[in-house]
Amino acid sequence: MSRVLQVRGLRKHFGEHEVIKGVDLDVEAGEVVVIIGPSGSGKSTFIRCLNSLEAPSAGDVQVHGGSAAHAGDRKALAKLREEVGMVFQDYTLFPHMSVLANIMLAPVKLGRMNKAQARDTALALLERVGLRHKAEGYPAQLSGGQQQRVAIVRALAMKPKLLLFDEPTSALDPETVNEVLNVMKALASEGMTMVVVTHEMGFARDVADRVVFFDGGRIVETGPPAQIFSQPAEARTRQFLASVL
Amino acid sequence: MDFDVNYLLAQWPALFAGLLMTLRVSLLAIGFSLLIGVLGGGVRALRVPLLGPAVALYVEVIRNTPILVQLFFIFYGLPAIGLELSLFWSGVLCLSLWAGAYQVENVRGGLATVEWGMHEAAFALSLRPWHYFCLIALPIAFRTSLPAMLNTAISLLKNSSYLQAIGLAELTFVAVDRIATDFRALEMFSAICVLYLALVALLALAAGRLAAHLQRPFRP
Ligand SMILES: Nc1ncnc2c1ncn2[C@@H]1O[C@H](COP(=O)(O)OP(=O)(O)O)[C@@H](O)[C@H]1O
Ligand SMILES: [Mg+2]
Repeated sequence: MSRVLQVRGLRKHFGEHEVIKGVDLDVEAGEVVVIIGPSGSGKSTFIRCLNSLEAPSAGDVQVHGGSAAHAGDRKALAKLREEVGMVFQDYTLFPHMSVLANIMLAPVKLGRMNKAQARDTALALLERVGLRHKAEGYPAQLSGGQQQRVAIVRALAMKPKLLLFDEPTSALDPETVNEVLNVMKALASEGMTMVVVTHEMGFARDVADRVVFFDGGRIVETGPPAQIFSQPAEARTRQFLASVL
Repeated sequence: MDFDVNYLLAQWPALFAGLLMTLRVSLLAIGFSLLIGVLGGGVRALRVPLLGPAVALYVEVIRNTPILVQLFFIFYGLPAIGLELSLFWSGVLCLSLWAGAYQVENVRGGLATVEWGMHEAAFALSLRPWHYFCLIALPIAFRTSLPAMLNTAISLLKNSSYLQAIGLAELTFVAVDRIATDFRALEMFSAICVLYLALVALLALAAGRLAAHLQRPFRP
């Protein structure tokens, strides 16, 4: 298996406050890694370092064996970003653009595709998430679950090697959570490499190849879901799972 | 009461010429002031070193000095340093610089309302900073600052009447000029008030149309 992501000695501090305290993580092609942990433990900060939304204070992030981003290397960080897609908690669709325009923007402006190709790609992806009929609509006309599915498509249109999710269902109404989780499941089964921060333990159990328990800026424990959920090795993991399950 | 409508009808060609001049100067200056607003507002919002503070200084100077002094500075002051502009372009420059300062603040205010999440989303898609600024931040900001921009444009239109002080033959100049010979102050000032009101109404109408267009994507 080829390695898509390699993180070594990652640290991040905001001023005096160290939030990520030395994290190593490898993700193989096609793997789905789910990160769980209490809020404030640094999960968002960590995942944001993976596409250089936050510049690491120390350590390095390497994607696909290609572009390594060492702390402080801005050019490499920008290159890294092109290979990594990201889906945020609050969708962040561009409100003044149609669904189609949202999806086509980056591939066209970055010269990845011409307009016709980008349009075909966008429509095909929308079809897959069941939103082909909303292509001409605007974000404000969609439900939260629909907006999040569009956000996933927008990230996919750049053909990322790795897709990051930061609590993609936390802002959704309970009845629309599943429509987004189902899209993510489908992506996982098609072999998309994903790192997902979520509180959806059911998703972690069913879809993850590996669960990472994060606390206090460190990886406390990692393993296949069956192991983490039924026989966690660490007391802190047990405590956390008891509080959420 | 003595209000001579026939007098006004006879003066219509002169008034119309003044109206056209007011319109030409104002529309050009509205265009330039918006350009200043977008560039200056961007520089301010992005906190560009040196340029940012320079724009802030420009805004303060314009907003805290009388427009008439600015006009005289341009028309009588600049020739002393070899920068001699025609009447018309002095007027355009004065109004552009004056309104530009306010448009800078309008654009800056609009940009401040654009959620940081938009920037992160653009960044995560690898869009370049100029893509973000021109295609995402500005259009979103434009929608929020349109009412303030319209107000500034209306003020510019009204302030074009100061240009009579340097002798540009715009609407107010024509009226004052006629009154000096014909003493029909009531008729003339009534007439130009109505004409200014009509211009402002047209401007507001156009902006309203634009606002409705920009609003469309945001309606459920
Ligand atoms: N930009 C920032 N500046 C300062 N502190 C931050 C910043 N972003 C996050 N933090 C701090 O880092 C810690 C971890 O936050 P976060 O990564 O959001 O945790 P999680 O996603 O696990 O809830 C929190 O204490 C938070 O206040
Ligand atoms: Mg978080």
